[in-house]
Amino acid sequence: MTEITLQVNGEEVTRSVTPRRLLVDFLRHDLGLTGTHIGCEHGVCGACTVLLDGETVRSCIMFAVQADGHRVETVESLSDDPGKLHPIQKAFWENHGLQCGFCTPGMLLATKELLGANPSPDESEIRTALAGNICRCTGYVHIVQSVKAAAESMAAEGGAR
Amino acid sequence: MTAEGQAPKFFGARVKRVEDPRLLIGKGTFVDDIERVDMLYASFVRSVEARAKINGIDITEAEKMPGVVRVFTGRDFSGKEVRCVSSYDGFQVSGYPALAETEARFNGEALAMVVANDPYLAEDAAEGVVVDYEPLTPVVNAEKALLEDSPLVHEGWHSNAFVERRYQSPGFGEAKEAAKHSVSGRFVMARHSGIPLETRAAIGDYDKGSQRLTLWTTTQIPYLIRTGLADAIGLPENRIRIISPDVGGGFGVKAQLYPEELACSLASIELGRPVKWVEDRREHFLASHHAREHVHEATVYFDDDGIVDALEAKIVVNMGPYSVFPWTATMDTGMAMGILPGPYKIKHYSVLGYPVATNKAPYGAYRGVSRPAACFTIERLMDQVARHRGLDPAEVRRRNYVTGDDYPYKSAGGLEYDSGSMVESQDLLLEKLDYRGLREWQESERANGRLIGIGFGAYTEQTAHATKEFVQRGVPIVFGYETSTLRLDPQGTLVINSSIHNHGQGLETTLGQMAADALGIDLADIRVEYGDTSQAAYGSGTFASRSAVMAGGAARRASEQLREQLANVAAHNLEAAPSDIEFESGRVFVAGSPDKGFDFAQLCRMVYHRPELVPEGQQPILEATVAYDAPPGTGTFTNATQIAVIEVDPGTGGIEILRYAIVEDCGPMINPMIVEGQIFGGIAQGIGSAIYEEFVYDEDGHLMTTTFMDYLLPGTTEVPSIEVFHLETPSPFTVGGIKGMGEGGAIAPGAVIAGAVEDALAPVGSVMVDTIPLTPQRVLGYLESARETAARQ
Repeated sequence: MTEITLQVNGEEVTRSVTPRRLLVDFLRHDLGLTGTHIGCEHGVCGACTVLLDGETVRSCIMFAVQADGHRVETVESLSDDPGKLHPIQKAFWENHGLQCGFCTPGMLLATKELLGANPSPDESEIRTALAGNICRCTGYVHIVQSVKAAAESMAAEGGAR
Repeated sequence: MTAEGQAPKFFGARVKRVEDPRLLIGKGTFVDDIERVDMLYASFVRSVEARAKINGIDITEAEKMPGVVRVFTGRDFSGKEVRCVSSYDGFQVSGYPALAETEARFNGEALAMVVANDPYLAEDAAEGVVVDYEPLTPVVNAEKALLEDSPLVHEGWHSNAFVERRYQSPGFGEAKEAAKHSVSGRFVMARHSGIPLETRAAIGDYDKGSQRLTLWTTTQIPYLIRTGLADAIGLPENRIRIISPDVGGGFGVKAQLYPEELACSLASIELGRPVKWVEDRREHFLASHHAREHVHEATVYFDDDGIVDALEAKIVVNMGPYSVFPWTATMDTGMAMGILPGPYKIKHYSVLGYPVATNKAPYGAYRGVSRPAACFTIERLMDQVARHRGLDPAEVRRRNYVTGDDYPYKSAGGLEYDSGSMVESQDLLLEKLDYRGLREWQESERANGRLIGIGFGAYTEQTAHATKEFVQRGVPIVFGYETSTLRLDPQGTLVINSSIHNHGQGLETTLGQMAADALGIDLADIRVEYGDTSQAAYGSGTFASRSAVMAGGAARRASEQLREQLANVAAHNLEAAPSDIEFESGRVFVAGSPDKGFDFAQLCRMVYHRPELVPEGQQPILEATVAYDAPPGTGTFTNATQIAVIEVDPGTGGIEILRYAIVEDCGPMINPMIVEGQIFGGIAQGIGSAIYEEFVYDEDGHLMTTTFMDYLLPGTTEVPSIEVFHLETPSPFTVGGIKGMGEGGAIAPGAVIAGAVEDALAPVGSVMVDTIPLTPQRVLGYLESARETAARQ
């Protein structure tokens, strides 16, 4: 067992883990953050996407020990209050950007990374940014619309501040 | 109308989904999210051979490994199997064992089950199990499997066909003789499946005290699983509870009883502790049921005008070794035989159907069931008729469609098309796309050397088929009805318990939309619950585009019963006639006197807490259960036309979709936003069928595609923005005239893209595109054939 200390959704966490414990299992089963999902366990589908120091990573092909000393954000960091959704979550709700909801946490975090780097992406930029996240339900049309809407509402909020 | 203001009208509104917030904040509950005290974890040892005699399984090393509690083999679960026997004469029976005991019949079949106190340790120990295989000659190709000299998958069978089905309409022979022209083809759709993003998972939890088994599982059909499991285990059904919580996509793959569900249940009964199994993606490829593998040899007979009079076909479906519960092995051939004539007024029909046992993975449902293959065949043939007669593909379809005056139309395949708008849908799509302009643009781009193609796909889609249809199909369980139980509580909030399941279709919202209006209440005051067999009466579940029509129809009917119950109480206390009571915006009042009435919640509380105010003979509760099967149960037909514009890259064989558009007519829409989401998702999966997705087996029956790096799913850069337009022709059969539409999008893209590729290659040379998916290698093959044809001329 190895002791690791990392920041998860703004809180410092110290735990003992086996070296082979996957980051996604650590988040889901050791910390109870089950919003992060497992779709393939080989780094292709994107369901397990989390932010590590602000950048998207596949938590299914990373060990928990590799996150030692880093900052991890999961879907729960956006908002865990249905009454106060993050603008990205709200845009996905309003634009029917999810169906079964299994890929959604990864989509939301990939969107957060995109909009952080490019606050007003065009359709092609959105599609390229989300190309590593598979959705089997929506055909992506409403997801692309959701990301556009999120960009617009975040820009409007930023402007108001 | 009253002075109370406009009642909210939920039916038909684009309301946001009720189920979304919990999924958006990461608080959905999927099976793998569930932890139980004292839980154990299972890992399966799976056959590395397609077909082998099991001479022995050595578990001695594995049992000694850290954390291992028990290793089960087929001997421990001997005789425990999933059976599904068709009522068709001559059907050959197979049992699908919890763990194979004497013979492995497909690569990936479960042979042993390691149970440990940690999932990592269970997987470690699974590698310590040693299986002594004696390889036997596998049966891989379904057409070869039908030959006299083929080895048999099951000892004692007289051939590898589960059953042989034939149908010939009266006068077919004469029509064939009399026909002036014919075209034939052999149409192949590769094996692939729904591939939900959440893999399967199950937790068997047997409580020794109450002698009750709870199975959490990723299923679309909880009630049928309960019955199937009770039969397979031999437990009384009233001691089994199935809970299917949030499910991360199903698409039919999760609409079967699987041996792993049986094994987790048996292991928990044996050990008295919860046993959890979460499938990994490799297992999903190997052992979750496959679909779509059809070969159709078909011929159409037609006249000078391209009017098709007769259709002849042989349908061979590669079913894998076992007949799966609850569908039986005849589901695909039955569906294909019925729907093959498609939306066309073909009078004469002769068809042979063979569901064939092989040593590939077992075969089950996937969105569209058979219709993508049937549509592929008939649409490809229509394109050949057009070429043969020098007609535009749109024109040849127009001449053959079943039209408005023909409905209800009894098809050559024996189905009753209740209603539709084939011509109108096609016309609308051609107008929206400026079809003539598109063809002119194509010509000019061809002059620039670009390989641009336009493809068509039209279909009429049987949905919500029920009692009558499934009786004809010879299935042991007739999937007739769905039930909805509506209960109002003293606060006037409503719970709808339904027998369906919801895993993306938006039913938590649309069932509420179906029920809200009759009661004049807000969607926010309605909760839809499902997926727990302790809640609703009984029903088959969510598949075959049935849930909105049947469970929604049941919810509407039950809401009308509640309205009647409430109207009686209100009338009794207001000295009015029940027929004069109106419901609007949370008020129940006498028509024309809005002040004379009750708040909805006040009236509900009165029923429960002031029983003396309830009229004599009426129960002091507000509950209604309705089972609804959309009589006559032959289904209601949604129709659509899809068109794609594509470009073929002659260097790489790659296909780029430049434009994709659809007109869909599913009758009145409960929620157009959800309808469009279903259409987009279906088309995306169909694009996967058309271009990317294929389970590749080697000649010894080993599956070669077991990761997302060799089995490709369409992503954001493969699926285009899709243009969608609607018509709304109501069904004469259903509540509200609504039709099912969950599968439609996925039906046509194979035909559409294949037609477009054929059209794109036309300037190079004539070729018939008859096999999908159109991988770059296949496209380059067709390009080469086109060049050869041109060179010969």
